[in-house]
Amino acid sequence: MMQVPVAKAEQATSAAVLRIAAVSKRFGSMTVLQDCSLSVAEGEIVTLLGPSGCGKTTLLRCIAGFWNPEEGAILIDGQDTVQTPVNRRPVGVVFQSYALFPHLTVAENIGYGLRMRGLPKTEIAARVAAALETVSLSGLGGRYPAQLSGGQQQRVAIARVLVLEPRVLLLDEPFNALDAKLRGAMQVDLRQLIKRLGMTAIFVTHDQEEALTMSDRIAVMRAGRIEQVAPPEEIFDRPATAYVADFIGSSNFWQAEAQAGRVILPDGQDLSTSLTGPVRVMSRPHNLSLQPGALGPWQGRLLFQRSVGALVEYHVTTDSGDMRVMAMRRPAARQPVEGDTVTLGVIDPGLCAVYEP
Amino acid sequence: MKPPRNPALTDRLGIGAMLALAVLSLVILVAPSIIVLMISFDTRAFVSFPPQGFTFDWYRQVFAQDVLVEAMMNSLQVGMAVTILCVLLGVPTALVCVRGRFPGTTALSVYVLVPHMVPGIVLGVAVLFAGALVGIGPSMGLQAISITVFVLAVMVRTVQSRLQRLDASLDEAAANLGATPFQALRTITFPLLMPAIMAGAVFTFIEGFDNISVAIFTHGFRDRPLPIELLAMVQSVNTPLVAAVSGVQILLAILALVAVSFSIGLDGVND
Repeated sequence: MMQVPVAKAEQATSAAVLRIAAVSKRFGSMTVLQDCSLSVAEGEIVTLLGPSGCGKTTLLRCIAGFWNPEEGAILIDGQDTVQTPVNRRPVGVVFQSYALFPHLTVAENIGYGLRMRGLPKTEIAARVAAALETVSLSGLGGRYPAQLSGGQQQRVAIARVLVLEPRVLLLDEPFNALDAKLRGAMQVDLRQLIKRLGMTAIFVTHDQEEALTMSDRIAVMRAGRIEQVAPPEEIFDRPATAYVADFIGSSNFWQAEAQAGRVILPDGQDLSTSLTGPVRVMSRPHNLSLQPGALGPWQGRLLFQRSVGALVEYHVTTDSGDMRVMAMRRPAARQPVEGDTVTLGVIDPGLCAVYEP
Repeated sequence: MKPPRNPALTDRLGIGAMLALAVLSLVILVAPSIIVLMISFDTRAFVSFPPQGFTFDWYRQVFAQDVLVEAMMNSLQVGMAVTILCVLLGVPTALVCVRGRFPGTTALSVYVLVPHMVPGIVLGVAVLFAGALVGIGPSMGLQAISITVFVLAVMVRTVQSRLQRLDASLDEAAANLGATPFQALRTITFPLLMPAIMAGAVFTFIEGFDNISVAIFTHGFRDRPLPIELLAMVQSVNTPLVAAVSGVQILLAILALVAVSFSIGLDGVND
């Protein structure tokens, strides 16, 4: 009976294609990565998400080998790669600018890595054709990158690394160069392509919607550290820190006192916590309810409301601070107007989070 | 700032003035060459404007005079030597200035410019003295070296600015795809620098062919280059022969530009 969890843990370790262990990176006196650890399983897509300057691109560049960390290890299939030269690492990078070679045709771009490996011409041609097929660009092999649309260029950049069958695919904000209109569809396509090929991928972005669409797990980064690694739903529902809660989705924060393992919510319900003393409580806007009139202990004045499709977003000022509520629209007669007194409630106290102040 | 009372009128006047200036500068640029070319076809045996008649005689005489043909050959050789030296020295220098990851790259890229800022005459004297120190007297070799020192900056700057505008991730992409630094240089960086190298080559060749300010001190006295021979001729001869020699030089410059425009396109030069 005791053997089972051990065996499971070992299995999990051996299945990790990429393991980043306590990586730190400094530029001069500035520490840009501090003690970052992350394991990525075979076929998993993990997003490094954070604002600019949080170190997400630095971590990606360390994995690719363009920079080397001062401390820690980057293991691919259990082998530390920190000493491996950049051109021998089994990783494929899709650059933000795509970095397609402008003087080479699409086919020559895709075949470049195979040519560097000295493969015979016939094999290169066959594998390039297959890669073009994979990214649905058959027939465009003779074009030059400048003759392609942004979306097509992105697919060439992906095909160029896929053809080398890397162990890890690294994507650096691959949607930045695309029209906002194209992005949504391209994100779904790209995720499906990576999943179909069973690739292990690290994806860097500052855009949380992109992260939610693309990832199996999200690593939220802040000032060179990884704050939380979890599946998108968990990041959204159970943010580990106030920073993550604030960065992902919208959130309401208020001050409270924790006593004897409990926090009393403003509407009278309570919530268990391991903290004591002053704390910050967080609730997502859709976890709050709103009733017109003075019906309960948590009252406030409606400052502003706007329709967001079938939902209404309310801004309410209360004794605990200004709150945002997302709720279904009511029949016109029962819809409050700005300036009305309203009563707020927490729908599920279990979805509130308690943080240190 | 007060809005102009009649914006349409002032705008039109402004555009008109700009156009007039553009046409004027074009005329100033081209007119001397046109005048020299016109004189070179004159049938009279003295330089006068406007020319009369039309003949190729002067050009025939240019190629019939051994001194001039020899001078032309000397200048061609110097031009080619300067070009080769500038490519061999300038391209690596530009690479180091832009890609080098050690202190002093900025200082180097400024330092390379200095000889080009110094008046040619001063540089000519300096190279003559420096050559004497190491035992190289005035000769075609010293002339080529002196002009190389003078125009190396053109090659370095042309390649440098192209290099700076290349996406730095192209090199990283090549490395990521398995290229060694040398392979990346050969297959990606050099082909993309080619237009700049070609443009630099044309300009340094033309400078090597017809530079006079530096060459006047460093050329070999038995291997006079064409511009020096021309200078000597102007002092003693007053026939359109001088104009015909200039015509040959103008033709050569045009040929060089045409060659560039056919190989990489004139847009490539601007790039």
